[in-house]
Amino acid sequence: MNDLFSAIDVGSRVEGSQFAVTRETIREFCDASLDYNPLHLDDEYMKGSFGRTQFGGIIMHGMTNFGLITRMITDWAHEWGAIQRRLETRWLIPVKPGDTIQPFATVKSMKTTDESRWAVLEIEVLNQGGEKVAQGEAQVEFPVREAA
Amino acid sequence: MEFETDFWRDAAERKSWDAIVPGEPRETVPYVLTLEAIQKYCRAVGDMHPLYFDEEYAKESVYGGLIAPPSIHILLMFSCTPTTDWMRSPGTINAGQSWTYNIPARPGDTISLQARALDKFIKRDRLFVIHDNVFFNQHGEVICSGRGWTIRPN
Repeated sequence: MNDLFSAIDVGSRVEGSQFAVTRETIREFCDASLDYNPLHLDDEYMKGSFGRTQFGGIIMHGMTNFGLITRMITDWAHEWGAIQRRLETRWLIPVKPGDTIQPFATVKSMKTTDESRWAVLEIEVLNQGGEKVAQGEAQVEFPVREAA
Repeated sequence: MEFETDFWRDAAERKSWDAIVPGEPRETVPYVLTLEAIQKYCRAVGDMHPLYFDEEYAKESVYGGLIAPPSIHILLMFSCTPTTDWMRSPGTINAGQSWTYNIPARPGDTISLQARALDKFIKRDRLFVIHDNVFFNQHGEVICSGRGWTIRPN
């Protein structure tokens, strides 16, 4: 356990799984998250404008990015007894049915504190065109002893 | 009680940007998190890790049993708030979030939420509210704590 902290370096990359977004995956996320905001359901509503923003059709929940990033980080962390302790995200471009998105992370810095060891990861989610749809930062703890 | 999926219902009772008072607690409701709800959420993001699905595997892990993924607060946000909560206002746009995680939520936990707006401001002609949320389990332990930026429809 905990070998990863010595094995990783600043610049180490983590690759998440690709996720193909459809109207069905968006609907499934509504049912799973209980977020039934019409932004994700109602094409007629989405023909309108939102202040200075116009979407032109339903969009994926921003929090789907958050869930996919979490999946990538926890898959990486669980394997080594490490724990996802923080995730900050910002959405840059709306994601629509037909898009395929994929999260990536890069270790940006590492730090040992009085009681533990930490890696800070820079996060990005890219669409099929290589555009950045979301960005963020995560902190993963590598406990010196196994933690529950 | 069935979850109300029509977010237009009770829309008139929800606070607009003008009426939201930073610092004022939002009304919340406790919620019992089931294994079924956890797994439904996991499937929606394709997260099939055995810590969420395989009881034997989870028992042998440092967690000693099945847990929910950290991002389960996505579901808890709407589970722990009533239909009159302004987070449900149609057209609410999530502009970003930051969350810190203490201990995992587990199936069977009774989750409670303490939540409030922290700040509201106008930026680039848009109405922003920053909100603060802390989820607790039935033992009063913090599961996770988060801050979100939303753009308000009105």
